[in-house]
Amino acid sequence: MNKIKLLFVFAALMLAVPSFAAIDTIAVDVGISVFQTMPIGVVPFEEEGKIKWTSEAPHLILARDANLSGRFEAVPSDQFDLVLFSKKRARQYVTGNATKLSNGKIKLDCYLYAAETKDLLLGESYTVKPYDVRQAVHSFFDKVVYRLFGERGVATTKLAYVSKIDGTKQVVISDYDGFSRRQITRDSSINMMPVWQKNNKGLVYVNFRNQRPNLYAITFGGKETPLFTQFKQTFSPAVNPKTGELLFSVTDGGKTEIYRGDMKTGSAQKFLHLKSNQVSPSWSPFASEVLFTSDRGGSPQVYAVGKDGSDVRRITYMGHYNERASWSPEGDRIVYTSMDDGKMNIYTCALDGTDIIQLTSNAGNNEHPTWSPDGKLIAFASDRGGNYQIYIMRKDGSSVTRITSGTENTSPTWSWFFDEKK
Amino acid sequence: MSKIIKFAMMGFALAFFAWGCSKEKPETDPNPKTAEAPADSLLNLDALIADTLSADSLARLEAERLEAERARLEEMINRLMTEDVYFDYDRSDLTENAKRLLAQVAEILVNETRFIVTVEGHTDARGTEDYNISLGARRSTVVRDFLVAYGVDAGRLMAVSYGKERPKVQGSDEAAYSKNRRAHFRVSIANNE
Repeated sequence: MNKIKLLFVFAALMLAVPSFAAIDTIAVDVGISVFQTMPIGVVPFEEEGKIKWTSEAPHLILARDANLSGRFEAVPSDQFDLVLFSKKRARQYVTGNATKLSNGKIKLDCYLYAAETKDLLLGESYTVKPYDVRQAVHSFFDKVVYRLFGERGVATTKLAYVSKIDGTKQVVISDYDGFSRRQITRDSSINMMPVWQKNNKGLVYVNFRNQRPNLYAITFGGKETPLFTQFKQTFSPAVNPKTGELLFSVTDGGKTEIYRGDMKTGSAQKFLHLKSNQVSPSWSPFASEVLFTSDRGGSPQVYAVGKDGSDVRRITYMGHYNERASWSPEGDRIVYTSMDDGKMNIYTCALDGTDIIQLTSNAGNNEHPTWSPDGKLIAFASDRGGNYQIYIMRKDGSSVTRITSGTENTSPTWSWFFDEKK
Repeated sequence: MSKIIKFAMMGFALAFFAWGCSKEKPETDPNPKTAEAPADSLLNLDALIADTLSADSLARLEAERLEAERARLEEMINRLMTEDVYFDYDRSDLTENAKRLLAQVAEILVNETRFIVTVEGHTDARGTEDYNISLGARRSTVVRDFLVAYGVDAGRLMAVSYGKERPKVQGSDEAAYSKNRRAHFRVSIANNE
């Protein structure tokens, strides 16, 4: 039965592809899509004692994690309901117990069960302050992902982005789902372009306190260090995921070029020896290659180059403005922003620039894409709702979810995986 | 301010020197401190008052002259800071209008050697933050190079880029965009004293 349906879907896809083939920018991605998410039952926790949740009840956090993950589709149910779970093909479900302790803490026992047999597949217990419930539930959810997929989930990862606070762009961080937001910078000039240091030790960002763009490193305790002060104007930071080394743009005499520098020693050398301007460097997942944008062809286009600066090759040819490319953590795709008729939209393509897929369209400007560390999701900024906010979508452009609200939020950068604390 | 005081003191000194000459008393040391000696004599009080008054008016005149000079500089700085150089979309070459304006700016800067100028390059809201910083940098550098070629000392000119971060006009239409694609002058006065 199942197989026949899958065949049908596959046949429908095969039929659909040729009709799209004539239009280069539209295609159907058969990576993850709605067909391939795994349904998972979500049942409210049994509560002992009246518990006042600081944000949401645990099962709502789990359902949100499931739907955002790009791996699952939540099947909510008020109690265990085998008929419903079977109908929706949810082979597993999550639930738990919550107990309010006399010291004000909350004990969460979280379970993953097989729906049919009611076998316990995973059980985790957390005793946390009310404010840390979200963190505990995210942590459990990532264990569920690992149990069922053998891969690390992103529920415990974070985003850094730029938020307009009292009219000033400030760098903030939050959980990947937009909750638990924290302001990191306080300076009253402009703070922008945050990226995560290796091991999420802190951020690197751009600040204008000297009336020009300069790079700074900042810890989450607020300790700031100016970087590469031998240059007048520095921006576009990109952290090497393996060594922590930094690629960044330096502007001197009207020319903008990419340099490679060591944050600890402050030494930096020119990375590329090209006549053109270069911005927006991005490392490949194993730091063997680098993407960047150059105007050498007369318009900004994406290029790739070896980590030693050799073998420059052009990736994008379509359109007149392709910028801010970033390599997927799985290594197989590139996401970038393209401008057409003054509107920004997000596209992905294969490493050789072919197989272009437009992920956003007819919804305002969509820009600054950043991959989740598992490569399943893309966070980006869009003004589709009137002002700029951060959204998350699956890598095929489906399931777009807004995760911020209020005054303008832009320029998200996803953290690396956090090392699990034992 | 300190200049005014200095000048006023000089005025006093000159006045007393002139007074000394008119009385045909040989005065060897025309220093301000000698002014204290004649002041002891009540007989000379009237003359002293008259002379002080004239020194006062001299100082006032000088203050007015300085004030006028300050106003002139201020006006010139204001003009420099309101007259932006505009660019075409995604371009950093100077239009004919831009060149005419820059020639006037250069004329001012060649004459006013105390002006120190930061040229800010700005872009409209379209495009990425990163690319727009490089575009703004090209714009400010083109302007700086023009002024240097005209004869302005390069040491007094700095070119920086704000990319799309500081729009002059809010909005997402060509009217706003065209006002925001600009090079802006920020002027300060070198302190020579």
